[in-house]
Amino acid sequence: MVSRRDFFRAGGAVTAGVAAAAVSKVAMAALPEPVLQPSPDTMPPLLPSNGRPYNPVVTLNGWTLPWRMNQGVKEFHLVAEPVLRELAPGMKAHLWGYNGQSPGPTIEVVEGDRVRVFVTNKLPEHTSIHWHGQRLPNGMDGVAGLNQKAIPSGKTYVYEFVARRPGTFMYHPHADEMTQMAMGMMGFWVTHPKTKNPLISAVDRDFCFLLNAFDIEPGSATPKIMTMLDFNLWCWNSRVFPGIDTLNVRQGDRVRIRVGNLTMTNHPIHVHGHEFEVTGTDGGPVPRSARWPEVTTDVAVGQMRQVEFIADEPGDWAFHCHKSHHTMNAMGHDVPTLIGVDHRDVVKKISKLVPDYMVMGERGMADMAEMEMPLPDNTIPMMTGQGPFGGVEMGGMFSVLKVRKDQKPGDYRDPGWYQHPKGEVAFEWTGALPEPARFAAEGGRSMPRQQPATAPSATTELRARKPGSGKHQH
Amino acid sequence: MKKNFQRIPRPTRLALLIAAPWLLAGCASLSGTGGIEPVQKIAEQHLGQSVGVARSAAEQDSAAKRVDELLAKPLSADSAVQIALLNNRGLQASLHALGVVEAEVVQASRMPNPGFSFGRSKKGEEREIERTFGFDLGHLIALPLARQAESRRFAAAQRGTALEMLALAADTRKAFYTAVAAEQTLSYMRDVQGAADAGAELAKRMAQAGNWSRLQQAREHAFFADAALNTARAERARVAARERLTRLLSLWGTQTAFTLPERLADLPGEPKDRPDIEQFAMSQRLDVQAAKAQSEATARNLGLSRVTRFINVLELELSRNSSNEGPRQTGYEISVELPLFDWGGARVARAESVYMQSLQRAAQTAVEARSEVREAYQAYRSSYDIARHYRDEAVPTAKRISEENLLRYNGMFIGVFELLADTRAQIGTVNASIEALRDFWVAQADLDMALIGKPSLAGAAAPSVAGAAAAAH
Ligand SMILES: [Cu+2]
Repeated sequence: MVSRRDFFRAGGAVTAGVAAAAVSKVAMAALPEPVLQPSPDTMPPLLPSNGRPYNPVVTLNGWTLPWRMNQGVKEFHLVAEPVLRELAPGMKAHLWGYNGQSPGPTIEVVEGDRVRVFVTNKLPEHTSIHWHGQRLPNGMDGVAGLNQKAIPSGKTYVYEFVARRPGTFMYHPHADEMTQMAMGMMGFWVTHPKTKNPLISAVDRDFCFLLNAFDIEPGSATPKIMTMLDFNLWCWNSRVFPGIDTLNVRQGDRVRIRVGNLTMTNHPIHVHGHEFEVTGTDGGPVPRSARWPEVTTDVAVGQMRQVEFIADEPGDWAFHCHKSHHTMNAMGHDVPTLIGVDHRDVVKKISKLVPDYMVMGERGMADMAEMEMPLPDNTIPMMTGQGPFGGVEMGGMFSVLKVRKDQKPGDYRDPGWYQHPKGEVAFEWTGALPEPARFAAEGGRSMPRQQPATAPSATTELRARKPGSGKHQH
Repeated sequence: MKKNFQRIPRPTRLALLIAAPWLLAGCASLSGTGGIEPVQKIAEQHLGQSVGVARSAAEQDSAAKRVDELLAKPLSADSAVQIALLNNRGLQASLHALGVVEAEVVQASRMPNPGFSFGRSKKGEEREIERTFGFDLGHLIALPLARQAESRRFAAAQRGTALEMLALAADTRKAFYTAVAAEQTLSYMRDVQGAADAGAELAKRMAQAGNWSRLQQAREHAFFADAALNTARAERARVAARERLTRLLSLWGTQTAFTLPERLADLPGEPKDRPDIEQFAMSQRLDVQAAKAQSEATARNLGLSRVTRFINVLELELSRNSSNEGPRQTGYEISVELPLFDWGGARVARAESVYMQSLQRAAQTAVEARSEVREAYQAYRSSYDIARHYRDEAVPTAKRISEENLLRYNGMFIGVFELLADTRAQIGTVNASIEALRDFWVAQADLDMALIGKPSLAGAAAPSVAGAAAAAH
């Protein structure tokens, strides 16, 4: 983290070349020191040093904003500004965010806290902050034009309200929203319960992240803000696999994961090896009688979900969005399917005009992950990430839940790959296969399609290619 | 025949016969080379090439051998010009014509032989025998003038042939560059067609594998169809350009299988900066020199007319510009009259007008020459700039686009068909760059010609494949 002394310098560096508003030093002097975070890594939980105690969350590839107590009021300082965010090693994006990162820092408070948030606008245009899901005075809700004047460039506004109910919330702009959210302006808000609440379990690990999506042309760095649905980078906290940190827990831990969706589509969030329960939404804790076990929960647009489970199965468990396109990085949306089309022999002709042309895709897209070919600047392959057994062939909204017997409490470091006990990994079958007794099914089609007298003769045949045959069968 | 044959009293005849050797002193004789030396000198000086006329079988053999030697290697602009100078039948005809003129000149500057005639006729029983001994007095009187006129006519013919030779050299260069460019374009269009072919084949397999509909296949096939058209156009352009060169080189039979370099020479590092180009051209240009000589000759004739009033030597080369069609008519007429009824006033006035006419013609020639040189230089500079822009900007940009697209293909952001479509978009640029380089070399040939004679500034006449490719989209 960076202190105020560095703030102006660092802020200047990040915003160089951007028409960001200059903020008066004198005006800033009375405010809580704005704290910047230059690193995209997951920061250790911020244990509260003053105010009411609580069990802090860990923001995946993010951090929690420090505060100061001012006569019983918790004061935070958010600075809206252009930021340079690493989406994954090899790719950086020009985003807008808060305090050096997108998403902005997580704000953690305790039920009943009086909270005062100073918001300094260093963006080239006005902004505002809406506190998604909070009970608060109408004039603090942050909808520019409706509840307040938009915060002009270069100005600082202050929001003040009591965090009335415990739960999982978000903050994001409500002024030129389309642009500002497409540029990555958002953050997490967690209100911890003041006293023991029967619907809110104490947990050993409490992770949180926001789902967000960008449309960044490969080779460029700024998201296309006009994109409506056709995004190409699906992120957790503005990180894509393999840039996302793993969720490292101790075997037997009660784990809570809080997910908020600020993309334009729903995401079925899915964990392997365990069942979880949805224990809360942005509306509050779910009554115990209403919880049911799941391995996938759909997080709709603008929703929060908190899921909880006991991490009792050791191993490296995939944890991802179940829309398979969301576990890919940037890729062409109009690339023709070449599966089963042998075109090695036409390469020579094409390469007369395109000298470095290589054949890809005739066996599927895994070619992409296998071949290491030069890509445009500032982009990452669409399927990537190496696991202990080879390419993981994933991107985007994919991470790993690492459950280890010996992970120390409070230790969030990556323990490395799971060491499988002998005989617990799938292996190649080499033995003889006895012919089992088979059941002869006598089925028929109950409603056969009526064929016209002159049925078109051309039908698409089923073309099965035997593995290893390698020959083209036309 | 009798018209020019005058009866002269015996004593005069004798005096003339005595005077004849004196009159004939310094008389021109045949050079033995057909009068082509000035043409050869200009060829060496301005083209760095030799030109010759083959008279004997041995000379013809050696010229043919030299042509064969030059044809054995891929042609260069210079070797093409050398072949044209040795082999172009039109030029050879003109060089032989110079020999004809020389013979006439020599003939005209010599005293005709005295002759006699003998006639015997019979009319009924009457017989008449007529004996004459004659000598051409007019010729004798006009001889010094005729000699001057003849030598000017000869010089004019030599200049004319030199200009013809230079025009042939310039046309040959231009035809050479056009042919090489056409060759280069064709080879590129064949590559393009190959890629289009691959695309069409791939599209077919896509349909066969069940990945594509027939609509998608047909759309991809359209590129192939376009490419085939463009290849056909490029083939036609190549044949036309090659045949034009073949004609200029007067080649036939197996000789027409000559080879051309694969590509045009690179653009020179810097264009020539010529602030003094007009003055330079004025001192060099043969047509300007000819106009000047013409005026000077007319001036001398005018002086002669003023002094003698009865000698008309004004017809020399006056009809040069009178007609655009038919062979150029040149010649002169000298007549001497007896001043009995007309004291020659009108003749002097006419001579003065003729002189003024020739002065204006010379001035017009000079003004046109200056303009032509400026235009040729401007064409040279701008074609250089255009070709350089293609070399330094347009083609590298197209290449960068292709490279970036390949990177996008690598990342599966675009497919192979999009990659091919991009290639399609670059074809116009590549073809236009070939044409721009060709235009530069053609403009250079025009400029070289404009410095020495009248250029043909029509620009590149070859059909543009780039234009055709662009129009097809
Ligand atoms: Cu998703």
